[in-house]
Amino acid sequence: MLRVKTHRIIRWIIQLVFLGFVVLAFAQTRYSVPVTFQNILLRSDPLLLAVTSIAYRVMIAAALPSLILVAVTVLFGRFFCGFVCPLGTLIDISDAFIKKRLRSFPVLKNTKYYILLFLVIAAVLGASLVHFFDPLVIFERSLVLIFYPVFTYLVSSFALIQTPVYTESMIALCVVVTIIGLNLLRPRFWCRNMCPLGALLALFSKISIFKFSFLEGCNKCSICEKVCPTSAISIEAQKIDSGECISCLRCQYECPQDAVKYRMSLAPTRIDLGRRQAITALGASVLLAPLARSLMHRRILGRLIRPPGSIPERDFLNACIHCGKCMKACPTNGLQPCIIEAGINGLWTPKLAARIGGCEKNCNLCGQVCPTSAIRKLPLEEKTYAKMGTAVIDRTRCIAWEQDKVCLICDEACPYNAISSLNETIRGTTLLRPFVDERICTGCGLCEARCPIEGRAAIEVFSIGEERKRRGSYITEEKVNLRACEEKIEDIPSGFIIDN
Amino acid sequence: MDNITRRDFIKISAGAALATLLPKPLLGAENTNGPVIAVAHGEKSKLVHTAVDLMGGIKNFVKSGDVVCLKPNLSFASNTDCGATTSPEVVKGMVQLCLDAGASRIFVVDHTIQDPTLCVERSRIEEAIIDKKVSLVTLQQERQYTEIEVPGGKQLTTIQVAKIIQDADLLVNMPTAKSHSGTGVSLGIKNLMGLIWDRGYLHRVNLHDAIAELATVIKPGLTIVDATKALTSGGPGGPGKTVILNKVVAGIDPVAVDSYTVGIAQWYKRSWTGNQVQYIKAAANLGLGEIDTNKMQIKEAAA
Repeated sequence: MLRVKTHRIIRWIIQLVFLGFVVLAFAQTRYSVPVTFQNILLRSDPLLLAVTSIAYRVMIAAALPSLILVAVTVLFGRFFCGFVCPLGTLIDISDAFIKKRLRSFPVLKNTKYYILLFLVIAAVLGASLVHFFDPLVIFERSLVLIFYPVFTYLVSSFALIQTPVYTESMIALCVVVTIIGLNLLRPRFWCRNMCPLGALLALFSKISIFKFSFLEGCNKCSICEKVCPTSAISIEAQKIDSGECISCLRCQYECPQDAVKYRMSLAPTRIDLGRRQAITALGASVLLAPLARSLMHRRILGRLIRPPGSIPERDFLNACIHCGKCMKACPTNGLQPCIIEAGINGLWTPKLAARIGGCEKNCNLCGQVCPTSAIRKLPLEEKTYAKMGTAVIDRTRCIAWEQDKVCLICDEACPYNAISSLNETIRGTTLLRPFVDERICTGCGLCEARCPIEGRAAIEVFSIGEERKRRGSYITEEKVNLRACEEKIEDIPSGFIIDN
Repeated sequence: MDNITRRDFIKISAGAALATLLPKPLLGAENTNGPVIAVAHGEKSKLVHTAVDLMGGIKNFVKSGDVVCLKPNLSFASNTDCGATTSPEVVKGMVQLCLDAGASRIFVVDHTIQDPTLCVERSRIEEAIIDKKVSLVTLQQERQYTEIEVPGGKQLTTIQVAKIIQDADLLVNMPTAKSHSGTGVSLGIKNLMGLIWDRGYLHRVNLHDAIAELATVIKPGLTIVDATKALTSGGPGGPGKTVILNKVVAGIDPVAVDSYTVGIAQWYKRSWTGNQVQYIKAAANLGLGEIDTNKMQIKEAAA
């Protein structure tokens, strides 16, 4: 029994080390920390590479490290699920607390292949839906939208730290609670039945070079079959499905006869998919992919401001994996998850909610951390030229225009001098009032964030004039000249009393 | 002044007696009743030391064991050469003086307008955090404030003011000299807006009067204006025109310091006096200090 225990402890340690790594990478996704390892796990996810590249029709170069995972899986099997995957670890932890299960629930292990098939066909049809199912994305997003606000809130009760807010956390919470709740049916229910990354790795694992197999001496005691957390073992057929196996080694360690062994074996394992179910998956993609591409809301509201350097909207929706890393990175908390603003499939995509926080001039972190370059990795200087939209003043609500107040906070907030304060006489009162130069305004929304009136700001960023480029520089000579224009038009502030 | 000899006494008395005979305009600089304004110019790192010495030395302000709050202007995440934030060298000079005087704790505080991390980074203010006793505290959370009443206030009746300054023995206001699209200039009294929670509220009432009323409840023991450079247009956030002055202006009287500083540069390409700045005039009208530069004792020295 000792070696069984030792083995379990070792596996737990490995899992917790990887979990710790993911949490560390998450914590270090913040301003003033250079981006090196922070997004490496998401970039190593072959499911993301495959689905986003197919949907976007461009190979996502940033995600190429995932080929390493494919290669290693072909060699050693689907160990990723059993040792590395942070969602798997979370599921294992919660599994440890579950005592009673609904034993009668059937095994649905092919479902994950249908989900994978569904995702791939939808991608071929031009819509990436991977964010609903990819375990690494689900975990990362849960860290950002659930763990981060909760953790900082708790810590802030005894330490002074910034507490972020997110406009959407509940749907993300429902997803992760459902996944963990499925454990009540069977241990690792999600991993064996639903996870499309698991399915993809399983396909490679079926042809893996090292796998478990039975040796002489098996007395069919079926201990291995019982302890296998993924039901990969069939003692009757004397077979171990290397696609299902997550290389947790339990069978090998628990076998009293030493009759199961991890060793080199070239024979691939078969896969049997039901034709009816495959057709269902196809039908679902055909139905949902076009729906997912609906962009109605964006057109109607004109208030969907994407992070600076985001690629064109259609491509963006396909390349973005909705992981929330940019939202964690944003120092002003201005990047927020969309709910329906970007259409049905835009759930959790980032938008600049400038009323919460604008886009700081000296920060380009969102593009740095984006694992798929849906937000381009622009140098700091170029980022300031990537126009996200244009600020529009609502003169009926602005207190400088409507109530003759000395305000001009928008002018002072603007780091690009796009807002001028000019004398304007209204009803006999001459006062400085703000004007926006739409040629210089980048749509950063720092003005909207700071507008002092209650509720909706009197200056708001609309997607007017936004620039979205797949490639090429945002810096043009015209823009540089405009910004360098030495003579900013400035009238004498009303804080001065001019003697006549 | 340690011991006054009889000879000194006679000299001073004679001088004073003579002075009473002089015509009034000549008296200006010799006025012994008006507030003292210390102006140091020259080497950046020594400016504060020189100015405080002109004010009678740091011992006049900081006693051993005191808790001191320094309030530089760190509002904007713009580079130090832009002139929108107080130079770290100037703040460091004051920190050093306080440490030398035996201060037990020194807090460098501000409620920044832009993101605090970026403001701290761009203003290089961490260069002034030179000792374990010195801490940088950004006041971004409501619970760092307590509400106090503003007696006799017309624009403000109550205001949420940073707790940390209420608990300190001394508050040193360390603004930078800059223009301001609303108030014309932003100097010492205007800088106090970085010690309250809801600054937007001041814009929704009469801004100039509200700033003056704020100065009735937040009273720095010393104001040191960083005029090493002045952002003379495009303020308060910049970018705009800057002129290099290599000066600091110090004083106890907040109105006098601001009023004097208005005259050391041209703002928006014009010369102004303190009386022409609404918030300074309003503060003087509330009896917070001397606005007439002729009634101040200006002491200048090179650093």
